[in-house]
Amino acid sequence: MLGETKSGMQCMEFDALLTEAIDGTLNGERRERFERHQAGCPACSTLFAEVSSGMAWLDEVEDVQPPHTLVHNILAATSGADQAAARANAGPSAWERLRRQVRMALAPVLTPRFGMSMGMAFFSITLVLNMAQIRITDLTPSNLSHTFYSSQNKFEMKFMRYYENMRLVYEIESRVRDLRNATDESERQEKNRHREKNNNQTQEQNQNSEPDRRQHREFTCGQNPQWLALLNGIEPHLDMCPRDLAKQRREI
Amino acid sequence: MEEAQVVAQLVRRCASGDAAAWEEIVQRFHRRIYNICYRFAGSADDAQDLTQEVFIKVYRTVSSFDGKKASFSTWVTTVTRNLLVDHFRKTRNDRSTDSIDAVQGADDDGPTLADRLASDAPSQQVHVESRERQEMVHRALQQISPDLREAVILRDLQDMDYREIAQVLKVPEGTVKSRINRGRAELARLLQRTYRQAL
Repeated sequence: MLGETKSGMQCMEFDALLTEAIDGTLNGERRERFERHQAGCPACSTLFAEVSSGMAWLDEVEDVQPPHTLVHNILAATSGADQAAARANAGPSAWERLRRQVRMALAPVLTPRFGMSMGMAFFSITLVLNMAQIRITDLTPSNLSHTFYSSQNKFEMKFMRYYENMRLVYEIESRVRDLRNATDESERQEKNRHREKNNNQTQEQNQNSEPDRRQHREFTCGQNPQWLALLNGIEPHLDMCPRDLAKQRREI
Repeated sequence: MEEAQVVAQLVRRCASGDAAAWEEIVQRFHRRIYNICYRFAGSADDAQDLTQEVFIKVYRTVSSFDGKKASFSTWVTTVTRNLLVDHFRKTRNDRSTDSIDAVQGADDDGPTLADRLASDAPSQQVHVESRERQEMVHRALQQISPDLREAVILRDLQDMDYREIAQVLKVPEGTVKSRINRGRAELARLLQRTYRQAL
């Protein structure tokens, strides 16, 4: 069939010109011979119809939309992989090295157990500061030094005040004691005079009085007159009798 | 011509390591390459994988591209076609791509592949939507011979001229034209039978 000549054209030649005829680029005398052969050859005519039909079917086919991640995947597999390889070959940057060293130094500290302990410590300190009404701003160096010096001054002033108060107290006590001693001395002298006078009177009376009362008196005066005098703050006399002591005490 | 000059400049920049130029090239060609792979392989997943392989190979060998021998588009299409052939050979056992007119088995009077592929479903729709027609063409393309299929795809779906197709397929232009016509004819026969079955 291919070698058969119909209308001055072989089927082989017809087959060769088929593409140009379909594309519409076949002109002139060759087109006339082509059309004559097509009209006279059933096989070639059928072939021409099928080829035209196939083209018509294919003309309806449209491009499909590629997946929206396709470009990203391609770039990741090509230039993205290259950049990653370049980073790996270049080694870690200075920042990476520093981070690695810091991480190694802090490795014993960066553990969950240590973290929990630090958390508890922080919580405890915060609670104590809160209860003591100490603010964080009070812990700055300037505030700390100010607090220290002001506390020191307050303490010194307190101490000085206490010392001054104590001195005043001692002075007052000594003055009172002096006054008391002076008063006691004058009173003693007065009493001595008065006693002498009484003694004189008593002696005169005793010359006519009962000796027992004197004995009694003497007996009784011989017992513990000193402690009575000491109790009353009076300088004791060995020959003082209790009656005289009581009298002196009333006078005081 | 201006488009070709722009692409040539992008390729030079890409060969010198310009990542932005490479991204531009991927943006310009990924749709076309994907469609070639999809129409040839028949599967969207295979098409995506094959497209990535194409661009990976192009990325690695872009420095060896010689603009004097062929355009970048032709060169990329050649790379695509070679990968598609390799893919087809690896998956040969998973499909049957003999001519639909070839008789299966030794009996010359036995049923052809087209007969066996024809649907017997009684519930076929009379009027087929455009999308379904496209799907029919796509399925029919998978049934014709890969040599004819690639020629038809490059000519009728990618609008390449015969000279470029000859460069890609590494065959004479006459062979290219013959394969295209035979591919069209086989496609038409298959679709006519399927469509008549539907009617």
